[in-house]
Amino acid sequence: MATAAINIHGVSKVYNPGSPQAVQALDTVSLTIHDNEFFTLLGPSGCGKTTLLRLIAGFEQVTGGEILLFEEGIENLEPSQRPVNTVFQHYALFPHMTVAQNVAYGLERLKKPKDEIRLTVDRVLSLVKLTELANRRPSQMSGGQQQRVALARALAPSPKVLLLDEPLSALDLKLRQAMREELKQLQKETGITFVFVTHDQEEALAMSDRIAVMSNGEVQQIGSPTEIYEHPVNRFVADFIGDTNFIDGEIISVKDDLVSCRISANTVFEAEDSGNHKPGDQVTLFLRPEKITLTSDAQIVNGESHAGKVTNIIYLGNQALLSVDLGNDIELTAQTRPREDGNLPFAVGDSLLVEFSKRALRVLAK
Amino acid sequence: MSDQLTRPSSKRKILPVGHYRGLGLWNAAFLIFLYMPIAVLIFYSFNDNRMVMIWSGFSIDWYIKAFNNVAIQDAVLNSLIVAFFATVISTAIATIGALVLARGGNFRGKTMSLGLITLPLMVPEIVTAVAMLIFFAAIGINWGLGNVIIAHVTFCIPFAFMPIRARLEGMDTSMEQASRDLYASEWETFRYITVPLLMPGIIAGAMLAFVISMDDFIITLMVSGAGSTTLPVYIYSMIRRGLTPEINAVSTLLLLFSITIVTAYWIVSNKTRTETVH
Amino acid sequence: MSSWLPTNPSSRRWLGLAPTYLVIGIFMLIPMIIMGTYSFMEANPYGGVKPVFSTAAYLQLAWEYDLDGTLVFNPGYLKIIWRSIGLSTMATVICLIFGFPVAYYITLQPENRRNFYIYLITIPFWTNLLIRTFAWIIILGRNGVIELPLLSLGIIDKSLRMMYSDGAIAIGLTYSYLPLMVLPIYASLEKLDFRLLEAASDLYSSRLEIMTKIVIPLSKPGIIAGCILVFIPCLGAFIAPNLLGGGKKLMLGSLVQFQFASARNWPFGSALSMLMLAVVVMALIFYARGAKKRAAGAES
Repeated sequence: MATAAINIHGVSKVYNPGSPQAVQALDTVSLTIHDNEFFTLLGPSGCGKTTLLRLIAGFEQVTGGEILLFEEGIENLEPSQRPVNTVFQHYALFPHMTVAQNVAYGLERLKKPKDEIRLTVDRVLSLVKLTELANRRPSQMSGGQQQRVALARALAPSPKVLLLDEPLSALDLKLRQAMREELKQLQKETGITFVFVTHDQEEALAMSDRIAVMSNGEVQQIGSPTEIYEHPVNRFVADFIGDTNFIDGEIISVKDDLVSCRISANTVFEAEDSGNHKPGDQVTLFLRPEKITLTSDAQIVNGESHAGKVTNIIYLGNQALLSVDLGNDIELTAQTRPREDGNLPFAVGDSLLVEFSKRALRVLAK
Repeated sequence: MSDQLTRPSSKRKILPVGHYRGLGLWNAAFLIFLYMPIAVLIFYSFNDNRMVMIWSGFSIDWYIKAFNNVAIQDAVLNSLIVAFFATVISTAIATIGALVLARGGNFRGKTMSLGLITLPLMVPEIVTAVAMLIFFAAIGINWGLGNVIIAHVTFCIPFAFMPIRARLEGMDTSMEQASRDLYASEWETFRYITVPLLMPGIIAGAMLAFVISMDDFIITLMVSGAGSTTLPVYIYSMIRRGLTPEINAVSTLLLLFSITIVTAYWIVSNKTRTETVH
Repeated sequence: MSSWLPTNPSSRRWLGLAPTYLVIGIFMLIPMIIMGTYSFMEANPYGGVKPVFSTAAYLQLAWEYDLDGTLVFNPGYLKIIWRSIGLSTMATVICLIFGFPVAYYITLQPENRRNFYIYLITIPFWTNLLIRTFAWIIILGRNGVIELPLLSLGIIDKSLRMMYSDGAIAIGLTYSYLPLMVLPIYASLEKLDFRLLEAASDLYSSRLEIMTKIVIPLSKPGIIAGCILVFIPCLGAFIAPNLLGGGKKLMLGSLVQFQFASARNWPFGSALSMLMLAVVVMALIFYARGAKKRAAGAES
C-alpha cells in the first residue's frame, strides 16, 4: 500500500462556535489520501469539501480532530509553513505582478537563489505552455490562461501536495474538458499528490484515482470511480452521480447475494444485494438507465422482460432518455441511441419490452 | 460532537490569514484620540468656573447664558437662514447635474463638468475664501447675508452632488426602461420611478450640504460683513476674547446638532443600502 | 417635461448642467481668475489693488526692497512656506501611520460593523473644525487636561508649554484631517480581494511579507489619495496654526488670511494663493498620471 500523504482523523469544523449562527461544516470526517494519488472531494455546494481543503491548506483551523501531513501534525503551522500549495477557485492571481512574477512569488519567499528561480519559472511556464506570455499581467489574459498561471504558480515551489479548489468551474465546457486531460497528465508527470475539489461528477469520474463523495459535512463513500458509480453505498451517492432509477420495495426472500423484492402487488424483481438484508426489509433498488435494454413488441420475449409504454422522450443528440411506464405505478428512465438514419427507434405512446439483468438492479442500504 | 463544540481549545491559536495582533487595540486608541477632544469639550461645558480649565463644580449656567445671549441668537438665526438657502439651492442644482452626468451617457465635456462640480472640494478652503472675497469686492456686491449664501451654495454643490450621483449609479436603469415599456411617458417615468428611487440620495445630499454650510468657518469669515455673522464665526470671536465655558456650551450644541444630522444621514443611507442589497 | 424641454439630447445635457456651470463658474472659477490677475498688480494700501502690472507680489516671496531701493534676499516668507510644507508633511505621515492600520482593521470586520466604524470616523469630519481645534486648547493649554494632573501629582513643577508650538500645530492638523486619510485607504482596501492574501500565505509569505508585497502595493491608489487629501488642506490650514500656534507660528493659510484681514496686501495674498493652487494642480496631475498608468496596466 502506498504511503499516506494526508491523514484526516475525525476532523470537525464549526464556524462561529458558541454563537447562534454556529454552522457545522464538517462532522468527524476521517480519510486517508495516498501519496502520488489524484484524489477528488466530490459533493454539492455546502457539503464541506472546500472547508476540508482550507483546513489542509491552513486557512482555517480544525474545531476537533487532527490532520497529518506525511505523518506529521500541521496544526501549529501557518499556511506559509505548510508544504502544500493551492490553486484557487477564482485563481487569486496577484494583479500587480506579471505572469512570471506571479510564478516566481513562492520561490522568492522561500529565498531560493535567483538563477534557480529563473530556471524553475521557465520550466513551469513551459509545462503549462505559457512561455510567450511571461510578461503579461493577469488582467490581459483569458480565463483559461489565468487558470494555467494559477496552476504554474502553485506548482513552481514543488509542493508535496497540490490542492485544487474547483479550478475548472469558471471555464467554458470545451476548455474544461481539455483541461481535465491536461491536469491528469500533469499529475502523472509531476508525481505530486493532487487533492481536487469539485461538484462536477463527470470531472471527478474522468480524472480521479479515488473519490470521496461528501454531503452535509460527512463523507458518504470513498472509492475508485467505478466503485462509486457501480456500487454506491446509499441513495445520496447513487443519485448524485449519474442518472438513476430508484425503485422502492420490500424483500421477500434472500438467496446468497440475490434477493427477491416485491415492488407492487403483482411485481417482483430479483436484485443483487451487497448489504445484509433480510426478508421483510424495506429497501430501495437502483438501476442505471444505460443498463436497460429496450426491444419492440414483436420480438421474442424471454423471462426477464417487462411490458411497458413510452410516456415521454428527452432527446439529447447522441442519446435519448425515455420514460417508460411499466404499469402498477412503476416508471423507469431508460437510455436509447438514435438509429443510423438519425431517427429514434421509439416514439411517445409506443409499446415496448424492457429488459435488465438482475445483476444490474442493486439494493441500496437504506 | 457536542463535546467538540464546547471543549475549550488548549491549542495555540493561529490568527487567520490577514489578521495581525494588536490591530483592535490600535483601532481603539485611534477612536479615543478622535473622540477625546469632543468629550473634553462637552465635559467642560458643565464647568461652573469662569475659567474653562479650572473645574469648580457642575453647572448648566453657561447653557442658560448662551441661550440668553442675543448675539448668539442672531448668529444662530443667520446660520440657519444661510444653511437653508444653501441647502435648497445647491441640492436642486446638484440633482439636475447628477442626472445629466450619471444618465446622460458619455459626451464631450463630461470629464470637464465633473471636474468643475468637484472644484470646490479640491481647492484649499482659504483660496476659495480669498478668491470670493476679491470677487465680491471687485464687482461691488455687498448684499450682507446674500454674499454668504452665494458662497455657501457654491461650495455645497459637490457635497450634495456626491450621494445623489452614487445613488443614481447604483440604480438599475432597467426600472426606467420597464416603466417606458409599460406605456409611461418620459415625464411620468421621471415622476413615478426616478424621483422616488432617487429620493434617499437627494435627502442624503441635502443633509450633507446642510451640515457643511452650518459648520463652515473660514470662507464665511472672509466674505461676511458686519451684521452677517454666522455661529462658527461668532464662536471664533468668542475664543479670541477669552476662554469661558460659554464657548463650550455653544460648541456642544452645534456639535450635537451636526452629529444628529449625520446620524440621520447614516441611518437613511444604511437603510437604502440594505434595501438595494436585500 | 417632454413638452417644453428640448428633445436634442445634447441641448438637454447642457441645460441640465447650466446651473452648475453658472454658479461654480461665476462664483468660483472667475474669482480665481481675478485673483490670478490681482497677483500681478500693485497693492493699494487701503485694500484692493492698483491696476498696474507688477511682479512685486511674487518677488516679495523671497526678496524685499532695502532702504536704498535695492533688492535683498529675505528668507522670512520662504521660511513660513518651508515650515508649512514641513508641518503638512509631518501631519500627513502621522495620519498615514496612524490611519492605515485602522482602515485595514475596519476592512477585516463584518459588514454591519464596518459601516458603524466608518460612521464613527466620519462623525468628527462632519463636525465643526473650529470647535474640534478649540478643544485641543483645553487639552494642551496651560493647566489643561494633560498638564493639570501632572502638576497636581508633582510629576512636573512648571508648565510644559505645549501650546503655541510646531508640535501643537502638527497635532491639530493631524487631528483635523485624519478621517480624510482613513476613508480613501478604506475605500481601496475594501476592494481588495482577501483571497490574494490567502494565496500569498499559501506561497510561503510571512505576515509582514503579505503586508508589504500584497496589501500595501494594492492599496497604493488609496494611500496616495489619502495623502493628497490630507496634505492639501494642511497646507492651506488657517484654524490650527491660528488657535494652536497662537498666530505667531504662521503657516501659508494663515499668512494668506493675514494679507487680506490685516496687512492689506491683496496682490501678495493672491500670489500666495496662486502658489497653493500650483501645488494642488501638481498633486492632482501626479494622481491622475498614476490612475492613468494603472488603468493602462489593467486594460491593454
